[in-house]
Amino acid sequence: MYRILEKTAETIAGTLALAGGAALLVLTTLTCVSIIGRAAVPLDIGLGPIRGIYDMTEVGMAAAIFAFLPYAQFTEAHARVDLFRWAIQDVLDQLLDLLFNIAMAIVAFVGTWRLYLGMQDKMSFGETTLIAQIPVWQGYAAGLVGAVGFVVVACFCVLRSGRRLALARAA
Amino acid sequence: MSNFELALWSFPVLLVLIFLRMPIALAMIGVGVGGTYLVIGTPMMTLNQLKTLTYGTFSNYSFSIIPLFLLMGQFATISGMSTSLFKAAESFLGHRKGGVAMSAVGACAGFGAICGSSLATAATMGQVALPELKRYGYPDSLSTGALAAGGTLGILIPPSVILVVYAILAEQNIAKLFVAALIPGLLAALGYMLAISLWMRLSPNAAQVSPRVPWPERLRTLSTIWPVLLIFVAVVGGIYGGLFTPTEAAAVGAAGTFLTALFSGAMSLAKLTEAIQKTAGSTGMIFLIILGAGIYNNFLSLTQLPQATSLWVGEQGFSPWLVLTVVLLMYLLFGCVMDSLSMVLLTVPIIFPVMVALDFGMSPDDFGLWFGILVLIVVEVGLITPPVGLNLFIINSMAKETPIAATYRGALPFVLTDLIRVALLAAFPAITLWLVWVIDAF
Repeated sequence: MYRILEKTAETIAGTLALAGGAALLVLTTLTCVSIIGRAAVPLDIGLGPIRGIYDMTEVGMAAAIFAFLPYAQFTEAHARVDLFRWAIQDVLDQLLDLLFNIAMAIVAFVGTWRLYLGMQDKMSFGETTLIAQIPVWQGYAAGLVGAVGFVVVACFCVLRSGRRLALARAA
Repeated sequence: MSNFELALWSFPVLLVLIFLRMPIALAMIGVGVGGTYLVIGTPMMTLNQLKTLTYGTFSNYSFSIIPLFLLMGQFATISGMSTSLFKAAESFLGHRKGGVAMSAVGACAGFGAICGSSLATAATMGQVALPELKRYGYPDSLSTGALAAGGTLGILIPPSVILVVYAILAEQNIAKLFVAALIPGLLAALGYMLAISLWMRLSPNAAQVSPRVPWPERLRTLSTIWPVLLIFVAVVGGIYGGLFTPTEAAAVGAAGTFLTALFSGAMSLAKLTEAIQKTAGSTGMIFLIILGAGIYNNFLSLTQLPQATSLWVGEQGFSPWLVLTVVLLMYLLFGCVMDSLSMVLLTVPIIFPVMVALDFGMSPDDFGLWFGILVLIVVEVGLITPPVGLNLFIINSMAKETPIAATYRGALPFVLTDLIRVALLAAFPAITLWLVWVIDAF
């Protein structure tokens, strides 16, 4: 059972990371195309920068960053200070880790819930980005994909640290 | 408890949580949210802010430079440029006493020009240079120390992720900061080489030199590193010349390093996936910290602590130089235990207003650049000092037989040159600002 859950969380985190990476690569390409277009303006051959590239960058980048969160959580990439690790007993360390993972799952859940409400606000206001006129709620929706993944993976991480705690106590 | 006391108490609470190994981002979010609740008495304000704060932070155009620079660094790692840079540096320096180690430092400097991260630079150059240093019989502690120190050049030499964050927080011009970082970065490389040279002369050892390389061959190896030069000039020059926004420049850099990796034949689907995964991990980590620092700093401004501190320091009539010394020492101290990015995010919003109000006899613009470079250097020293020096750990894990104590010892001479450099740059701001002035005059 645990293996299945672990595999699921890993797949979610991995897939979202790659999707975010793909968004990053697309943005890189579009930006370069836009720069070349802008450089070609004086040539007057009908080329120009991509209209609203800055808006697209903002929307795409937000989606990518949200999509990266589950991967950072799954691989325990968070910055932390190991200065006093030697002083903390293994069981206590695992217990704290469990608490921190629970806290992270709560943060992920609250953040995602508020993001969802924020999206509804933007939908009802009909707000759009300045130049490309992308409805802002669509950016939020794209972000929600990663955010929901973050909640799921964070919940798995609670389970994972609970299991580690049990194993540490048994040892 | 007054709001002000609450803000003061939040520091030790934050530190205790962090020392208990709570992820730094989570600790900042927790203390920030908790503190705001205690000040206002209702969670509604934070909850309402969160509707737009997360998306607003992640979609901030200025911040979008960070994932792109991280991606650029990952592609640079694949590109094979690390080997070319090392070979080129070795053809010039290898025949000198300690030359192979100096070459490693020189190659780190070159790699730093296309990579904005210390850890990636240390890891990449370590892979290339450690086996060579071993082959030439260098003492293990010197090898690991030199490479860990050389890794910090990834951040010290622009582009640099920390400088980007500082520029955004302190509202400074990113392009000018990059230019200002250049001479101090080169001085760093020079200082490390000097340290190696002195070490080799003072303590006799069995290290060999590589044969002297004739000039035509030197020029040939130099010609293999043109992509590094081209990308560096395009990125830094492009921002400075107003050709691109910093984010666009980072995209150009990422595309440039990608193409370099592609044409060198080193790029594969597996490598691309790995690069994306590493970028994903660091980006997720960094943006969670940015979010946490934002929430925590919102709480602090709610309590008026930053304003009160700035006012208080101004009223005491301390000498500006004394305050600067204390601040830099504090960064050094915390840098030994804390992650440099978290430290910058956490402290710059409080410390920068205090510092900019003091009179150092220069324009606010010049001050912003100079102070940024000083902060950059002192927080990076933390990467090569015990007990928590990430570069030391990375290099040490690659040199399996070298005990960590030897690596700590090996890093010491380099830390010493760092301290001397900070003192020099602090005493003579013109070293940092000169290049900016010259280019601005055009």
